[in-house]
Amino acid sequence: MASPEMEQRKKVADRYLKQEVLGQGTYGVVFKATDTKTGETVAIKKIRIGKQKEGVNITALREIKMLKELKHPHIILLIDAFPHKQNLHLVFEFMETDLEGVIRDSNVFFSPADVKSYLLMTLKGLAYCHEKRVLHRDMKPNNLLIGPDGQLKLADFGLARIFGSPDRKFTHQVFARWYRAPELLFGAKRYGAAVDVWAAGCVFAELLLRRPFLQVKKNLSPIFVSLDLILSGNSDIDQLSKIFTAFGTPKADQWPDMKNLPDYVEYQFVPAPSLPSLFPTVSEDALDLLSKMFTYDPKARISVTQALEHRYFTSAPSPTDPSKLPKPIRKQESKASYGKHEAIKVISPPRKIRRVMPERGRLDGMKSRVDKDQPAPMSLDFTILAERPPNRPTITSLKIEYVLIASYSCSFCSADRSHLKRKLDLDFQ
Amino acid sequence: MADFQTSTQRAKWVFTPQKLAERYKAANQRAVQFLEKCGTTQVEVDASGSLTYPTDKGDARDHSDKKLKPLSVDEERFMRAFYEAKVQEVCSAFEFPHKIQATALQYFKRFYLQWSVMQHHPKEIMLTCVYAACKIEENHVSAEEIGKGIKQDHHVILKYEMASLEFDLIVFAPYRAMEGFVSNMEEFLQARDDEIQKLQSLLKAATAEADKVMLTDAPLLFSPGQLALAALRIANGVLGVIDFDRYLENILSQPNSEHTTSELSKLLDGIESLVKNYKYPSEKDMKHINRKLKSCLGHSSSHDESKKREKRSKHKSHRSSNDAPNGPPTS
Repeated sequence: MASPEMEQRKKVADRYLKQEVLGQGTYGVVFKATDTKTGETVAIKKIRIGKQKEGVNITALREIKMLKELKHPHIILLIDAFPHKQNLHLVFEFMETDLEGVIRDSNVFFSPADVKSYLLMTLKGLAYCHEKRVLHRDMKPNNLLIGPDGQLKLADFGLARIFGSPDRKFTHQVFARWYRAPELLFGAKRYGAAVDVWAAGCVFAELLLRRPFLQVKKNLSPIFVSLDLILSGNSDIDQLSKIFTAFGTPKADQWPDMKNLPDYVEYQFVPAPSLPSLFPTVSEDALDLLSKMFTYDPKARISVTQALEHRYFTSAPSPTDPSKLPKPIRKQESKASYGKHEAIKVISPPRKIRRVMPERGRLDGMKSRVDKDQPAPMSLDFTILAERPPNRPTITSLKIEYVLIASYSCSFCSADRSHLKRKLDLDFQ
Repeated sequence: MADFQTSTQRAKWVFTPQKLAERYKAANQRAVQFLEKCGTTQVEVDASGSLTYPTDKGDARDHSDKKLKPLSVDEERFMRAFYEAKVQEVCSAFEFPHKIQATALQYFKRFYLQWSVMQHHPKEIMLTCVYAACKIEENHVSAEEIGKGIKQDHHVILKYEMASLEFDLIVFAPYRAMEGFVSNMEEFLQARDDEIQKLQSLLKAATAEADKVMLTDAPLLFSPGQLALAALRIANGVLGVIDFDRYLENILSQPNSEHTTSELSKLLDGIESLVKNYKYPSEKDMKHINRKLKSCLGHSSSHDESKKREKRSKHKSHRSSNDAPNGPPTS
């Protein structure tokens, strides 16, 4: 009697045999499960619904909307999405680990050919997104999942947006900060595919260095910041300083539009160190591609398609076959440890809970992300700010006019992470 | 998502006229069967999107249930047409972009390919479709705000949101395509300032035409590009800005075009005739259909049901005056 669609929906809930919990994600639990129809292992993101005032979580909705249209060997496959008993279930193909897990594992050795293979797969997935006019906006190693066959796939499309309308304004509060392109850090609202290229460049650098390249450490000396700066760009200025230290302060002729960006401030000029000094032992081809992905002016930055045509990918050594890529040692350990430790990263690592979301507005963006393994970037306590300073300050003259922000907001430092996590988890109850 | 060719819309939501008619007929049939067996068609939905179907209450009721007449396929169409127009009204009241309106309409149309209006009242579905469209098109408006703006309960809006997931969410509308065609026409005409002005007024007129196209079945039968061309051709028929046939020949002379000029013309004729034959129900039609719909949706408790039936037989002559074209009484 029920409509065929309904019959189907019932079947869908019975179709997957739930196994162990893989981890707690941004907006719900992730399970491992077996698809009884195909016999394949899948990962199911279970998202609680029904109590929220604004219905289905927008992040989950974006993910569904994008992934239903994006089908590519280097994009995570969304097998199914269905509501069942107060929960929305997203069924994904099962992935073993993520690129962050591989990069961080000190037991894994990468050859230049391995790095090339990872980057190639990343860029292929990204090129497909851009061809479909989708900005990923959250490229970073732990959103690049790695399957049992070694294939790398882009995942987590919760921040993804369709681009193409020239006048459409976007939020600049996207990406984990270390992967944020300079135009975003200067508050650009109209931006394009180049932001993903910058982030992919960061991933490339991270593969070469085995640590986050543009990582801002929390033990920076206390800095002087104006209210104006805080309200506009928050600790993005630390991030910009980090970028400029690596590549030199951009000059006007390098990036003509820079001065017109909403949160632009003049930085003291620092010359660029030579790229080989930052990346010793890296081939000239790799450095050339890297420098093109890190071009300041987004208009001049290499596109993903152009990057894929770069000689780096055709010159020796040729990229490692994905099935022969090194795997984290941990993976070969007993199943129990897999489930607890490694698997948390598989779909939604706990760190993502603290990701800066566009909806949360500016002040929230100031809460620096806290990383499990890495020291957090400095957080700024903006409650002690004095009067409004004049406009367009320069960093070099800050001392005279601006308030010293010496108080780190410790609740967001790693010491008290458990508290934060607990607090956020409550949101799902 | 700029690629209609590989989209879920092209793969799953564009039908042949025969197939579409079948779908409507099948949806109607399912509701009719429920009515015959259970004396009601209403499917209850809770906040998580779980559905409760009417249950077979046994043959004790068979006798009285014979009075309940189901809506015909055509009456269902009228009911949808009425609320599709409401979608446009609501969207204009909020000054939402055309794209959102089009997305909401597509969701609404897709929903009623699977369901009859006798199973889920279109007023509730309409609101959910508008809400979901805003959310998906990244133009977020809270359910409460939408509810307030049109004096409706926002819980109803959220209740149906889960259903929207089955619609594949990304929808292609003719509006972007029209902009593309118009800028292409500028090139084709090598337009000067005054001609550019004219083309802009053509675009404006065509946008209004596209709004009409969106109210027909055309969005379930044709690609957004075809809808766009049809709207432009209709508007151009009035304004006469461009030699449309020559323009069609020009775009079809591109190496990878799918159609010949005459094929494309025929497709556009098809869309145009859908617009011409579009029927919006009269107030009288609506009163009648709405009364029928109300009785089909019925009440969930059998007590109410019998009470209502009693009342109905007593005051049969007065009933029509109380029946505003509104939702069913919720119980």
